[in-house]
Amino acid sequence: MRFSGFQELLEHYAAVSPDAPALIYEDREKKVCSFSALKKLVAEKADAFRSSGKRCIGILSDGSFDCVVTILAANIAGLQVVMLDAFSPSSTLKGSIPYADIDCLWGDEELCEELSPFLTVGPGGNYADRVLFFTSGTTSSSKAVVLTGQSLMSSAWNGSQKLPLDPSDILLCMLPLGHVFGFVCGLLWGLSCGAAVALGRGTRHYMDDCRYYQPTALSAVPSLLGFLLAHEGLNESLRLILIGAGDCPADLLSAVQARNIRVSFGYGLTETSSGVAISTKGDPFAMEICPDDEIILAPDGEILIKAPTCMMQGYYKMPEATAEAIRGGLLYSGDLGRFDDDGLLHITGRKKDVLVLPSGTKIFLPEFESRLAAALGTTELAVVLKDGRPMLVLCGEAEEEETVRKKIRPVMDEYPRGQQIAGIVFRSTPLPRTATGKIQRYKINVN
Amino acid sequence: MTREEVSEKIKKIIFDSVPDRVPEVIADDTVVNNDMAIDSMGFILVICRCEAELGVKIPERKWQKLSTFGEVVDEFMLQLKKANK
Repeated sequence: MRFSGFQELLEHYAAVSPDAPALIYEDREKKVCSFSALKKLVAEKADAFRSSGKRCIGILSDGSFDCVVTILAANIAGLQVVMLDAFSPSSTLKGSIPYADIDCLWGDEELCEELSPFLTVGPGGNYADRVLFFTSGTTSSSKAVVLTGQSLMSSAWNGSQKLPLDPSDILLCMLPLGHVFGFVCGLLWGLSCGAAVALGRGTRHYMDDCRYYQPTALSAVPSLLGFLLAHEGLNESLRLILIGAGDCPADLLSAVQARNIRVSFGYGLTETSSGVAISTKGDPFAMEICPDDEIILAPDGEILIKAPTCMMQGYYKMPEATAEAIRGGLLYSGDLGRFDDDGLLHITGRKKDVLVLPSGTKIFLPEFESRLAAALGTTELAVVLKDGRPMLVLCGEAEEEETVRKKIRPVMDEYPRGQQIAGIVFRSTPLPRTATGKIQRYKINVN
Repeated sequence: MTREEVSEKIKKIIFDSVPDRVPEVIADDTVVNNDMAIDSMGFILVICRCEAELGVKIPERKWQKLSTFGEVVDEFMLQLKKANK
């Protein structure tokens, strides 16, 4: 069923299946919250928000039950909700708070206290129903994407039209809610189908959450899936895995399929409130376009998306960036694709200077490389992926490696571990470039 | 527990968890990401096993900041000290 927002979703299921489990979570023991109980809790919290006078809440998401209730309540109460990555460096969060006009925070008490001096007086203008997500990737150039409860619910509906869940299903939500894929495909997908959503217990329980909750469906990024497979972390009753936010190695795919688990891929962007294309049949790399969406290919193969119900309102306070991304009602994705003879979409590469890690995190190369260039005093460098990890390619001799490592260390310390340079490759010839001087990364061989 | 003892326990856990990725010598300045090539999921595994072995937990927010082997050891020493207070 299509819902216009979180309120309508809760009201519907509280009326038609009040006792059905909505959220399963751990609070010293496994607990179940029914749709009617969830509606009541959210309503009480929304009332508290209304009387608080606050206008914009920053959520330092931990994926907990209270976190979910707070997000739903704040949105229903009319606050602008900003999803923050609690694991981002403090310096990034301190910049995000004034930028997004946050006037109150939810999350880890110690972190909230550290960030409280940066709170503002809240946004002006019409901000009702807005939910802001930062484009994934920790970088000073991260943009907040303005979505709404309505666009997020539309995205969940789109997904459920291609991959319906049954009320008897349990969807395990292990991904961070601060990323739109985790929020829509880990949480709203399940709730919008009337299925129960089991809230993962955090990083420490990655290995045993599936056995603990016995889900029938799971949303995952490739790195998480690889981890679960390597450590026998998948349960026998699991029947469907939705993979998004990155390229998935074929060996992972075959390992999952060997367990008779159906695998689907989703393709989408934060700007489109998550998925616009999902694979539903045999070949997981061949994706059908979701009902509300339309995809056309530019002459150079770039994927252009028309998603009237799921499209962002824009980048927060960045009209020029918004105008550059959406032209003529089409979002220029920066990804390259092709349609096969059956009209199914295949992703073939990336046009943007972005590396997408197996975790789904993006590294914006112009900024990343310029910081490395400044540290090393040379622009003759490139960052490429090898086995899903960022490698620095430089012109020079291998003997210089230790010196290079020392020079880039202060820069790397400012990035989360997964985004740090994992290795250095020296080459004796200049980097391949186009006539205009742009590095041809696909010609760089790091093996 | 002395720092040396904690260091040895963590080295053993790293070796058991990611045996194919451990350099011959692990020093305090060995960068976990670069020199050991432990990816983020491998790091989670190592930290979780260390927490179980040592009986203390490192706040998850601090995980991202741990870069070298020495920093990992120091953080566990800090948590052990807090636990013993």
